[in-house]
Amino acid sequence: MQFVITIVLVLATVSVVAAGPLDSPGAMKALNCSACHGFGGQSAVDTMPILSGLWPEYFKKAIADYASAKRPSVEMEPYAKQVMQFGVDDYAAYFGGLKREPTRIKVDATAAGRGRVAAQPCVICHGPEGRGDRAKLIPDLAGQPPGYLKNQMMLFREDKRSPGDPSLKAIKELMKSLSDDTMADLAAYYSSLR
Amino acid sequence: MKGMGRREFLRSSGVGLGVGLLAGGCATAVTGDFAPKSGRRVVVIGGGWGGATAAKYVRLGDPSIEVILLEPNRQFISCPFSNLVLSGVRTLDSMTFDYSGLRRHGVRVLHEAAGAIDPATRRVRVGEGSLEYDRLVVAPGVEFQWEQVDGLAQNQDKVLHAWKAGPQTQALADQLRAMPDGGVFVLSIPPAAYRCPPGPYERACQVAWYLKQNKPKSKLIILDANQNIISKTALFRAAWREYPNIDYRASNKVVKVDPSVREVTTDFGDKVKYDVVNLIPPQRAGTIAVQADLVGADKRWCEVNHLTFESVKAPNIHVIGDSTIGLPVPKSGNVANAMGKVAAVAIVHRLNGKQPPELAPGNTCYSWVNDREAIAVVNTYKIENGKVVQIEQKLTPGQSVAVAQNSLGWARSIWSDVIG
Repeated sequence: MQFVITIVLVLATVSVVAAGPLDSPGAMKALNCSACHGFGGQSAVDTMPILSGLWPEYFKKAIADYASAKRPSVEMEPYAKQVMQFGVDDYAAYFGGLKREPTRIKVDATAAGRGRVAAQPCVICHGPEGRGDRAKLIPDLAGQPPGYLKNQMMLFREDKRSPGDPSLKAIKELMKSLSDDTMADLAAYYSSLR
Repeated sequence: MKGMGRREFLRSSGVGLGVGLLAGGCATAVTGDFAPKSGRRVVVIGGGWGGATAAKYVRLGDPSIEVILLEPNRQFISCPFSNLVLSGVRTLDSMTFDYSGLRRHGVRVLHEAAGAIDPATRRVRVGEGSLEYDRLVVAPGVEFQWEQVDGLAQNQDKVLHAWKAGPQTQALADQLRAMPDGGVFVLSIPPAAYRCPPGPYERACQVAWYLKQNKPKSKLIILDANQNIISKTALFRAAWREYPNIDYRASNKVVKVDPSVREVTTDFGDKVKYDVVNLIPPQRAGTIAVQADLVGADKRWCEVNHLTFESVKAPNIHVIGDSTIGLPVPKSGNVANAMGKVAAVAIVHRLNGKQPPELAPGNTCYSWVNDREAIAVVNTYKIENGKVVQIEQKLTPGQSVAVAQNSLGWARSIWSDVIG
């Protein structure tokens, strides 16, 4: 009997050790995301946002906005609907439970320096380190890829992200006052934050 | 590290070796199991978008499972984006990768062709020897039905398909460049189903754009076996307004080619002269899938379980990618990548005695319509009553630089997902 119990314990231990990175429901469901956002949402490319470490409630808001086309995107609308179909909570818990590694896309230090100066108006909402405000669902910008950050600023400027949303009026007015170069500097700065 | 031959593979894996073999015997002469199985093993046939992804994700899902990938080519060359090599917008090198990324995940990559499958003994023949498997992934892509076009089989060196990215892609680009201004380029599109439904129409854009820029007196005649453009129809029609050099002829199936007089013949008996021809042949599942009788009554494509991609005809065998039929999905690289992951999860579950979850693919598909603008279609799917069903299809409203930029991010990311 002692022998049998030992065997069972060993097998149980092996089973725990063998638990892989795909074992949670969210990890398996999120495999479609990795084609564009990288494995574990750790995007390695400039234009795709990093999903790992996103606050679950922010992830869910983004998916709901994409699925309803409030945040228009030909690419994301069908995928957001798929995420809703398979259960957004699982995805949100999975990505939220992963640590965000900052982007490895290199930015020009001089541009980031100019961006730090230009970022004064952004601090009001996104905080001094760009970490956002979880309670207000204001996103954490630090370490996201610069291309993604710049694209979002341009979408705000052209009122193509959440068009007509009164809560975003201030940021859109701010973006209209910025040149493309300043947006690139701001993107470099927030991307460089660790 | 460059690609590995079977002898190096055997040496590095340290399994099943006779001393004589290590001392310099010829690996191809080995008979029987040349790498006897010690634990659970998955063998993957084909290192394209589906097979490479499946191999990697089985290892990610359960690193205690041995994965052996059989792929004769030492380089992975992306079909998506290869049309841009014809116009000179991109180089083939920019979409060429080796298999070192998969090796870092512990996949044993063997640059050999799979010879035959024996489902009864769960073995794949490789040369004179064989490999035993617990689960087999068959991802051979498409094979051309040369016999469907009279004169094609014996002229494969002159009549190029360029439908498997590689040397033919560059050769067709060279033919296009060498064509005199005022020449005629004929592009022949096979009847559906074939690999990459929008691919021929993107190719038409790239050839027409190149001709417009460089050989303005030339024209492109498209002989399409289908009744209309079969993907992104309105978007391609809109893009073609910029290309008066395109002469599109729907329902014109090429049945004969004669390079000695530079002429193709359609099923109506029309003869069309060309200076350069690009004949994309009709297609079926890769040969090994046909030989193993994994194809259905049509003898062309393989039916699969929609949840696990297990063959409906043979146990312990999963078929993924362009060889499959019966799902409402296009034969695309993105779909093959998604199928590779779903199959990998199913295999890991099966080998651990668990019920696989219900997962469904997605498809993001970009087409470049000139040197800087692209269009896109995106499809996602769900599972209903055990079958893959489309949730939604979304098209870009028009062509744009922004979509082209998105496609570059997609490509870099998914290449890494497949092979990195």
